[in-house]
Parts: sequence; structure tokens; C-alpha cells
Amino acid sequence: MTRLLRMELRHNAMPLLLPVVVVLFWLTTYRKTVVMAPFWNVRAASLQLNAVLDFAVSVTGAAAWMGSRETRHRLTDQLAITARSRWARLLVPWSATAIWALVVYFGCVAWLYVATAHQASWGGPLWWPVAVGAASVAAFSALGFAVGNCLPSRFTAPLATIAAFFVLALSTQLIHGSQSYWNVSPIVTGPWDMGPQPGVATFYPFVPDLPIAQVMFLGGLTAALLGALGLPARAGGRSLRSAAAGLTGAGLLAAGTAAGLAGTGTLGPHGMIDIPALHDAASDRPLQYTPVCSHTTIPLCFNPAYARYLPATVDALTPVLNQIAGLPGAPTRIVQESVTYRQESGNGVAVFCGGGLVHSVRVFPVVLADQLPGLAMTAAQIAGQTASMYTESLVSGVTGAGPTASPAQNAVARAVLMAAGVHRSTVISQNGQATCGTDAPGAGRLEVAPGTPDYAAAQRFAALPASARHAWLVRHIAALRAGQITLEQIP
Amino acid sequence: MTGIRLVWLYAVGRRVPFALIALAAIATGLRVALLGNWDAYGALQLPLCFEAAAAVTVVATTASPFGEPERVAGPWLPYLRLAVTIALTVTAIGALLAAAATGGHLSEGTLDVLRNVAGITGIGLLFAAAVGSGLSWTGPTAYLVAGVYALYTRWHPPTLTWPWLWPGRPPHDLGGALCAGLVFAAGLAVITLRGARDRLGDGA
Repeated sequence: MTRLLRMELRHNAMPLLLPVVVVLFWLTTYRKTVVMAPFWNVRAASLQLNAVLDFAVSVTGAAAWMGSRETRHRLTDQLAITARSRWARLLVPWSATAIWALVVYFGCVAWLYVATAHQASWGGPLWWPVAVGAASVAAFSALGFAVGNCLPSRFTAPLATIAAFFVLALSTQLIHGSQSYWNVSPIVTGPWDMGPQPGVATFYPFVPDLPIAQVMFLGGLTAALLGALGLPARAGGRSLRSAAAGLTGAGLLAAGTAAGLAGTGTLGPHGMIDIPALHDAASDRPLQYTPVCSHTTIPLCFNPAYARYLPATVDALTPVLNQIAGLPGAPTRIVQESVTYRQESGNGVAVFCGGGLVHSVRVFPVVLADQLPGLAMTAAQIAGQTASMYTESLVSGVTGAGPTASPAQNAVARAVLMAAGVHRSTVISQNGQATCGTDAPGAGRLEVAPGTPDYAAAQRFAALPASARHAWLVRHIAALRAGQITLEQIP
Repeated sequence: MTGIRLVWLYAVGRRVPFALIALAAIATGLRVALLGNWDAYGALQLPLCFEAAAAVTVVATTASPFGEPERVAGPWLPYLRLAVTIALTVTAIGALLAAAATGGHLSEGTLDVLRNVAGITGIGLLFAAAVGSGLSWTGPTAYLVAGVYALYTRWHPPTLTWPWLWPGRPPHDLGGALCAGLVFAAGLAVITLRGARDRLGDGA
């Protein structure tokens, strides 16, 4: 049997397709994925989605071509008299096709994961998405082989390939929410239409519920298809056909169960799909990590996965932090927090700022713009957007400024922002990016109109030397917050 | 009469009747699929799948079941190859357009079908000449994946706008049309002059 497998490996169609597969992988998967943010979950999700399409198409065609070989070469009768049963004989070229495809698939995974390992600042490779890809390769090779064997024709391989691609790529149109049976499709990596999110699987462990269901579905499909090859009377003896029937039944049962399980999935607050029957409660506990902190007057502490964004964010926030550092009510630390996700109607997913992991009043929680849905941004854009989300909240937290505050509080807050070089009066959103920080007291509402006495007081206070302004704030901040300072008392 | 018989024998040997049935089925499939409520991605990517299916069907007819003897004894072969390939390509385009014209809506219009079917058929013809018609579908199907990806990058940068990846370009784009036309012309020329590379079993 080993010799037969070696022979099939030498005469397989898959090696001829390998250059095409590798070019396709480079074009649609590698090239796109390596420019994504270097988070393992983002890269792994992109790998699963794209590599499954690349490999499924090629392996389906190659397997269909190999499956129809006996008939195309008019060797069916000649081979019927060989010692091996037809079923055993058919499984060998299928194995050879799958082995070739898997070897190249794992090579491509290694290529992408090595590149990611050089870029990612924290975490490690996620293997479940890789397993889904490998199971897809096996399943689509079995599908192609079975189709090629049943309908041997020059048209079978190309049309089966395109049909497989069509079903795989466009079946996702049928997904509606996290409780869809179609989530069992191997190109689904999470809530459909949301795309890979850096905020997922960085504060909480990767939840493998959906990949487990997908592997189970693909494994069942593979077993059912390969078992079906042994069902015809000419496939072998009675016992062999009974075994094939058992394998087919077990495969169908596993695939059906997996699809049923996928239909029970719900979107967890951590952004991944939980399947109750497969869920491990331990994955709901936050990950323990040592944050990466800046050496600023008020330290900024990020999840180590986001370390590359720290310098730019420090640059963006330092002017404001220097103004408020040491004042009563100022935070002692600024800590990055997770976001939470909730399924909305259809495929909509609501993302909420703040995951409730920060419990100290002296710690100011922030969410980076990259954790929110929106277009991909550079580190500088993320830092700028994050600063614009939180600058006013930080100042308001110290001065008590806001819509119900006294004119003096708002004037001082505006002056502090002016001194820090922040001249915008509202939280803005770049590139249609969602924002956080707008629910903090005073955030986005520090409206001090030019030409008013409040604005004149703000300009006057901002013009003071930094040390004088800071000293006045240290002495009067309590009175200011209590609303006991008037505009005229502001120096 | 002899000429008609020659064309008929050539067509039967290349499974052209089956290809015509397959093209009719593909066109019907497109019409049925267009009944669905597709989102922006699906509406653009769906026709490309059917265009590629039509193209690989045309290309599959290039395999000869006779090989060397036919090549040596058939002086009319280049003309037959040219005529049948053009006729099938035109039929494929016509069938898809007819399917869409009966109440369906192709999001990228008529020119897109013309460009994509011709271009992808050209790729298949070049592959048939290079690796044999049995595996000639590898080029068009890989190109389908790349084309669908190019359409996807319209929403998700970095956008692929190479004219050689014409499905990602707008239907009226001259660069994309020229590239598709060039590929089709090159494929047609190679298949007319040399025919598909024969391999054992390709012609079944």
C-alpha cells in the first residue's frame, strides 16, 4: 500500500497546480494579511478566510481530475481484477492529492506565521484556524474526488471547482446573525460582516467553539464522501461495503451535529461566537498579562499586543497629561481596556467602549481607536483618534467641566486644552471611525464660544506661564470643582 | 456535405454538444441566481463565477481524443479549432446575456460579460496549449479567485487595479478591455495554430 501511495504521489495532478496555488496564496492571502495589524487573531482569521478559498478551489479540481482518471483512461475493467478492492484503490489517489495539498498548505501557513511572529509584540500562533483550513483541504479533496469518480468527464473538474468556489464564497450571503447554521462554513471566523477585529482575543482567550464545530463538520463531510465511494456493489466485498456504509453514516451524523451546534452559537461579549455545548467557561475569564507602560507624568499602560501604538499615543496625549498631572482628581494611570460586543439584528454587531476590567477611580480607562470597527489606520492615526476621543474627558474629570458646570469651570477646562494645543471643542471622528469617551462627563461638550467673557477668561488663563497656571490649579481646583470660583477670579 | 460532416465529427469528438448543454445550464443557473437578494459583494461576484464557468466549458472542448493521427491527417484542423472556439465563445456570451436579459440584472452590465468571458477563455486556451486541455481549467479557476478578490478590494484596500486583473476594473475601462482582448487573441492564435497539448486521458 505504501508503494502504491508513493506511486500515486509521483503521478498526481496536484503538484502541477502547486505554482498556481502558491501565486494565488501570495496574491489573495499573504500580501493582504501581512499589512494587517500584527495581532495573531487578526492574521489567523484572515488566513482561514482566504487560504480556505485558495486551496479549496485548487484541490477540488485536482481531486476531481484524479477521481475520474480510471474512466478517462478506460482502465476500469482492467483494474477491477487487481487484488485490492476498488474502494481501497480509490482511497490511495485521494490520499496522495490531499497529502500534496496539505504539505503546501502547511508551508504557506508557516510562511505567514513566521512573518507574523517577527511583527507581533505579544501572543502566539492560533492553531484552530489552521486546523479548519487543513480540514477544508481534506474535505474539498474528498468532494472533488467523489464528484470526479461519479461523473467522469472532461467538464467535471472545471465545473466542480467553480461550483465549490461558488458555494463556499457566496453561501455566506445566507448568514443572518451569530445563530446561523451557515456559520459552519469554513470561511467564517466570527460574526460575519464584522471582519477580523484586533480587539478580539487580546483581552480574553481565543474561543475555539466555532472552529471545533467547523472541523467536526468538515471531518464528517470527508468521512461521508469517502465512505460513499465504497457503497457501490463493485467497490468491494460485503464487509467492506458495510464498513463504508458505517463510515458514511457516522460522517453524516458528525456533519449534521456540527451544523446543528453552529446554529446554537451566540456572540459573546468578547466578540467571538460561543457554542454552549462546546464552550469552556475558562475562556470567559480575562487574560492575565503584564501591561506595557510609558514613563510619562501620568503613565499610559497598554495590553502588550498593542505595544507598537504606545509611543505615538504617548506623543498625542503628553501635552494634556503634562497640564493635569499632579492635580487633585487627576488619574494616576491611564489603562487600556477591552471593548464589548453585542449581536444586533441581522449581521449587525454593536461595540461598546469599556469592558469593565478597570475598577479604580484613579485609573482612567481608554479604548484605542483600533479596537473599534472602522477602516484600518496607521499607528499615528490611531493615536490621534484616541487622543481626540479622550482629551476632553481627561480635562473634564479634573475641572468638573460640562454642560451643568459653572462658566469658570468650563473656561478653565478650555484654557487647559488651549495650553495643551487642543483647539477643537468637540470629539471628532476620523474616517467614519466609531468613537469612545463621549459618555464621560463633559466630553464633547466643552463649548466655550469665542467672543464671550468665558472665552476671554480662558484665553487669559491659557496665556499664563505653565508653572503659574499649574500652581493656581493646585491651590484652587477644589473650589473650582465646587463651583465657588467666578470668571473674574481666574487670573 | 462533406464539410458539414467534418464539422459535425469534429464537434462530437470535442464534446461540443455537451458543452452547449452545459452552457445552457450555466445560463439558466445565472438566471436563477439573479432571483436572489444579493448584497453589494454578491451582486458583483456572482456573474463572474458564471462567466468563469462558461469560459472553462468552452476551453474543455479543445481536448482531442485522437492526438497525433488527427494532427497529421487533418489539414482543416486549425480552421475547425478557430471556428469552433469562436462560435462557442460567442454562444457562451450570448447565453449569459440572454439569461440576464429575461428580467435579471447584471450589476456590471453587458460589457463586463463580454470582457470577462473572452478574457478568461483566453487564459484557458493558453493553459490548454501549455499544460494540456485536461488541466487547462487551472488558469481560469485561479483567475476567478483572483478576480473575485480584486472585486472585494474595492471595499477593502489595498485595492487591486492592475488592468491584467480586469474583473476588478469598471466595465468601460479601456485598459482592462485591452488586456482581456489581448489574452483572448493570444489564446485563440495559439490554439488555432498549435492546438491543445495532448495528454493521455484528456480527451475523454
